[in-house]
Amino acid sequence: MKNNIGVYICQCGSNISDYVDVEKVRDEVSKIEGVAIAKTTMFACADSTQKEIIEDVRNKKLDAMVVASCSPKLHLFTFRNVAIRAGLNPYHYVQVNIREQDSWAHSDHPAEATLKAIGLVSAGIARVKHSKALKSIDIPSRNAVAILGAGVSGMRAAIEMADMGTEVHLIEREHFVGGRTSQWSQLFTTRQSGEEVVSGLYNKIINNENISLYTGAELLSMKGSVGDFKAKIRIIPRYIKADCILKDNQELLNATLKAINACPVEISDDFNFNITKRKAIYKNYHSEFPECPAIDYEHCTKCGECAKYLDAVDFEQKEQEVEINVGAFVVATGFDPYEPEKGEYAYAEVENVITLPQFKRLIEMNEKELTYRNKAVKNIAYIYCVGSRQTEGKNNYCSRYCCTSAIHAAIHARNKYRDINNFHINRGIRTYGKQELLYEESSRNGDIYLQFDEENIPVVEKQGEKLIIKVKDILTQEKELEVEADLLVLVTGMVPRKHSKVSDILKIPLGRDHFFNEIHPKLKPVETVIDGVFICGACQAPFNITETIKSSLSAASKANALISKGKIELEPTIAEINPEQCSWCGACTEVCLYDAIRKIGHNGKEIAEVDESKCKGCGMCLPVCDQNAINLIGYTDKEIESFIDALIS
Amino acid sequence: MKTNIQSKILVFSTEKISDPAIDLAGLLKKHYPPSVYTINVPCSSSVKPKWILHAFDKGFDGVFIAADGTDCPYGETCSDNTANIVKQAHQEMKARGIDPARLKMAAICSVCAESFVKQMISFTKALENEQKQEN
Amino acid sequence: MNRNRKIDFMINDKDKTEEYDVLVVGGGIAGEEAALNLANQGYKIIMVEKDLSIGGKMIHLSKVFPTLDCAACITTPKVSETARHSNITIYTYSEVKGINKLNGSGFMARVERKPRYVNEETCTGCQICEEKCPVFVQDQFQYDLVGRKAVYVPFSIANPRIATIDMDNCILCGACEKACPADAIDFTQEKEEIPIHIKSVILATGYKLFDPVVIERYGYGRFKNVVTAMQMERQLVPTRPYNNVLRPGDGKMPDNIAYVLCTGSRDATVGNPICSQVCCMYSTKQAQLLMGALPMADITIYFLHVRAFGKGFEEFYQQGRSMGVEFIKGKIGKITEKENGDLLVRYEDIREGVVKEAEHDMVVLSVGILPDIIPEDMFLKERPELDPFHYVMQVDELSNPAKTSMKGVFVAGAASGPMDIPDSILSAGAASSETATYLRRLS
Repeated sequence: MKNNIGVYICQCGSNISDYVDVEKVRDEVSKIEGVAIAKTTMFACADSTQKEIIEDVRNKKLDAMVVASCSPKLHLFTFRNVAIRAGLNPYHYVQVNIREQDSWAHSDHPAEATLKAIGLVSAGIARVKHSKALKSIDIPSRNAVAILGAGVSGMRAAIEMADMGTEVHLIEREHFVGGRTSQWSQLFTTRQSGEEVVSGLYNKIINNENISLYTGAELLSMKGSVGDFKAKIRIIPRYIKADCILKDNQELLNATLKAINACPVEISDDFNFNITKRKAIYKNYHSEFPECPAIDYEHCTKCGECAKYLDAVDFEQKEQEVEINVGAFVVATGFDPYEPEKGEYAYAEVENVITLPQFKRLIEMNEKELTYRNKAVKNIAYIYCVGSRQTEGKNNYCSRYCCTSAIHAAIHARNKYRDINNFHINRGIRTYGKQELLYEESSRNGDIYLQFDEENIPVVEKQGEKLIIKVKDILTQEKELEVEADLLVLVTGMVPRKHSKVSDILKIPLGRDHFFNEIHPKLKPVETVIDGVFICGACQAPFNITETIKSSLSAASKANALISKGKIELEPTIAEINPEQCSWCGACTEVCLYDAIRKIGHNGKEIAEVDESKCKGCGMCLPVCDQNAINLIGYTDKEIESFIDALIS
Repeated sequence: MKTNIQSKILVFSTEKISDPAIDLAGLLKKHYPPSVYTINVPCSSSVKPKWILHAFDKGFDGVFIAADGTDCPYGETCSDNTANIVKQAHQEMKARGIDPARLKMAAICSVCAESFVKQMISFTKALENEQKQEN
Repeated sequence: MNRNRKIDFMINDKDKTEEYDVLVVGGGIAGEEAALNLANQGYKIIMVEKDLSIGGKMIHLSKVFPTLDCAACITTPKVSETARHSNITIYTYSEVKGINKLNGSGFMARVERKPRYVNEETCTGCQICEEKCPVFVQDQFQYDLVGRKAVYVPFSIANPRIATIDMDNCILCGACEKACPADAIDFTQEKEEIPIHIKSVILATGYKLFDPVVIERYGYGRFKNVVTAMQMERQLVPTRPYNNVLRPGDGKMPDNIAYVLCTGSRDATVGNPICSQVCCMYSTKQAQLLMGALPMADITIYFLHVRAFGKGFEEFYQQGRSMGVEFIKGKIGKITEKENGDLLVRYEDIREGVVKEAEHDMVVLSVGILPDIIPEDMFLKERPELDPFHYVMQVDELSNPAKTSMKGVFVAGAASGPMDIPDSILSAGAASSETATYLRRLS
């Protein structure tokens, strides 16, 4: 038993000490038998305090330490390292959470929060008294990763990880890669097009032998844990042979065009955000990669018309399921543009009201003159923050990219067509950083900016043939102004991808904004609470392309550091059998999911034994033992019961 | 006997799933009674009935298992196993004359901060009502 | 000429030259993150920091938006991890000179170590010398709000936490030398130059704050109760100088504080037409913290646009509004000082279209950020190109955001443009990733 314990109570600046009387906690716990020293500290995690702890351990020959501070999820390893540097076994350290689970949760009851802190710290001391020295267990890890989503984020992460020598499975739900970037033409802040960016990445992917690209593929299920995940992937047929590559093959291209022409099925084209139609067989845009047509599995009637022109059509292809074995996941499933509700700013009720992504496709499709539904467009109104910063409705967040994107599109339209007038009806323009220049350029060009606030949202009316937007403009003393527009563009924000089963299968928590949530925006910005599952790009929060790429490179770097060494160090908290008490009944083996308990002979009787490479330390076997012969290391009866005793006293 | 003192509740939380939710409740400054104490275990199906009874013996008014439910990183049988633990503990509680209502279990997912707070508030109330009736 | 000869000498002097894979210039949050990522992959890193401590700007901040975590809690573990890492060598109070690209085999450079006049190995940071030193000067780490001695430990959570003598102000009385229990004072120390050979460079040189003295009509430097946001930030940290929020003019607790956003940003007249990305949010944060520290105080934020764009930012801004922070859409004309030290802020109320005047007892200028321009002599011949605002130019922003015009030289954090902490960390992640790829291709 440890009986020379150092206890450090952190004020966390004032995060803890504002509500918990840390001096009182120190005074109380210093009375506990076995506590050699108890101190309060401004920041337990500061280097100077770490040094102080180390000196205390050495000078006062401490045999265990307790730090009461923030959640162990943040600093457990910081202080275990302190223990190691001080010459203690890291498992003679216990961290007590008096911030997330005390001072913050009970900031309304400071006196009680202080009592609770005393209880928690006492319990931590009781627990550390019974702690045992342990060494971590190494588990093997597969240097392979599954990257979900082959937009720019997933593709960039794939290239990076493949370059680092990791086997990459890049899994894309659509038949074509590139995600949203392939749908944009001109990009900001460079003069590149979406096609250039996507083709650059795609070419690197197909030439990299470490990357397997699956299109039309979806994650079905996942088993296992960090280092050794087994994932099932469902791949729907493309119905086109893989060697049908249109690049530099005019003959094949002509045949494809004829086949597309011949297809009798018409459905709305989601590449153009449903403002146009496409056929069930399709490959309509330069920015679609691979350069191989695809047949829409869902809508194709298999009439065979296309096959008359294109030999590569192959209806024999079957849906497949493949299983892959990876050490980690990188999730890069991206975003959907917000779809306005029917009647939101007259969307889907009045003609000539479209969303920003639709407008961008419209600019791309109209070469000389901007027309929509066969009518010339000269006056364009933009209403900002549609689906973002909602005071009612669930999207309270700002979508970050839309102000810049809308202004960029407006400039593009003005430069491409003659006599365009842009009216930006906004809630405060957020062209942060260098994007400010775009706003300045647009203002200089004569674009008109009107501003409303959330109490007075603009009203869209159809007056005869005219589309009128009424806005109470706070830039002109809240005058009620009317803008007559040929086209109203709703500057829609980002929402998380629809129908994403990924979060259910991988159990990634969602934040208040419904995007995937990282552990901590500054400490662990691409990590999730699920070990081995990383997130990057716009599935995590609205990001522009540069920001997306930065996060995907960060995720690649972190995932690589985790799985590339061939082993992952695991906590040595596994089950252990007391051979004296065990009289083999087999109940523990039955309940174990990892096949980690086997029968052995011991001193003339049969008992159970734990395979430490297989045991995951879940403890499921503990309660099923009639003889109470199983303990979980780190969670032994002594440790738990003395913890409980200390809490209550 | 107890009057104004809030009922003491011991929560068994799980490191990967329900404990992060309890952390999140604090991070979002969502308040629940300060007489709720948490102890961490790897998985809710590792809680020994023995520990639960120990907590009652020592004076806890309620025990709450913040279970992994279907989110358990270890396996799908977790929910059933945890339910079995509760069943077994209930039997032993009855044998000792402890009201089974003093042990509760609910699945708390890793972001279920809101639901955790609600559970704690309603469980505290229920325990207090029970104590009033006893008095 | 002189410089060139020195380099030649160094190349020949192989024994003295220290070898590393990566030179990280700057020990702020971006430099640390990049260095740690690479060090964890086994690369040998040299980090050079011109200041006395690593930790950059972040280590001096109070709580950080939008989570209100204390900055120190988040950054000090990274600082310690960097300082402790066996693959990272750190030179603080040092500058990089003469980076010179060699044909095919990386770069040569020199690390110029300024004398601390204190032995780094023996100093324990006990601060007894500080007690004995008779010289008081303004403390730059408290943004001149309080004084320090001529021999001083820079700040409480500095790393390394050791003393330095500020020779510009030292009167050479020798009091510190006599008092030092570790015998660490050494007036004979001289500038030292260490030749290094590296395979690649990460520029994580960060940013500096706009000096509002330039905008005369705001009165900064003349009116004592006009302060910069960093000065206010220091009053809000747990290690704050006055242990309370006081206005510098007379030590009165302010009860009516104004923030002037876009001071030195979005302003072509001061040469910085771009938005600084962080001022709206740090001001909103300070306003929220002030409402906690001074519950009776009124806080007004004069803004043109509120750039609450990042994850959780809009919610944080709305939280500030609901707490009672007043946001006025207004353009500041001029600030004048009353006899009692209060300030008259003349502004155009944009919503009402009229010019108004408001009285505040303290004005905080939400100063923008500017690139900490890379010194001329850091590179010998070829140097990375800069953008029109003197940030390091990103030449392939959409695919390789850390790439610069110079092969083997990468950029991380605010050296490439204004950036908040989460963005800097992701940017450093990208820089380390791209650097690792570059290094693998070399070998």
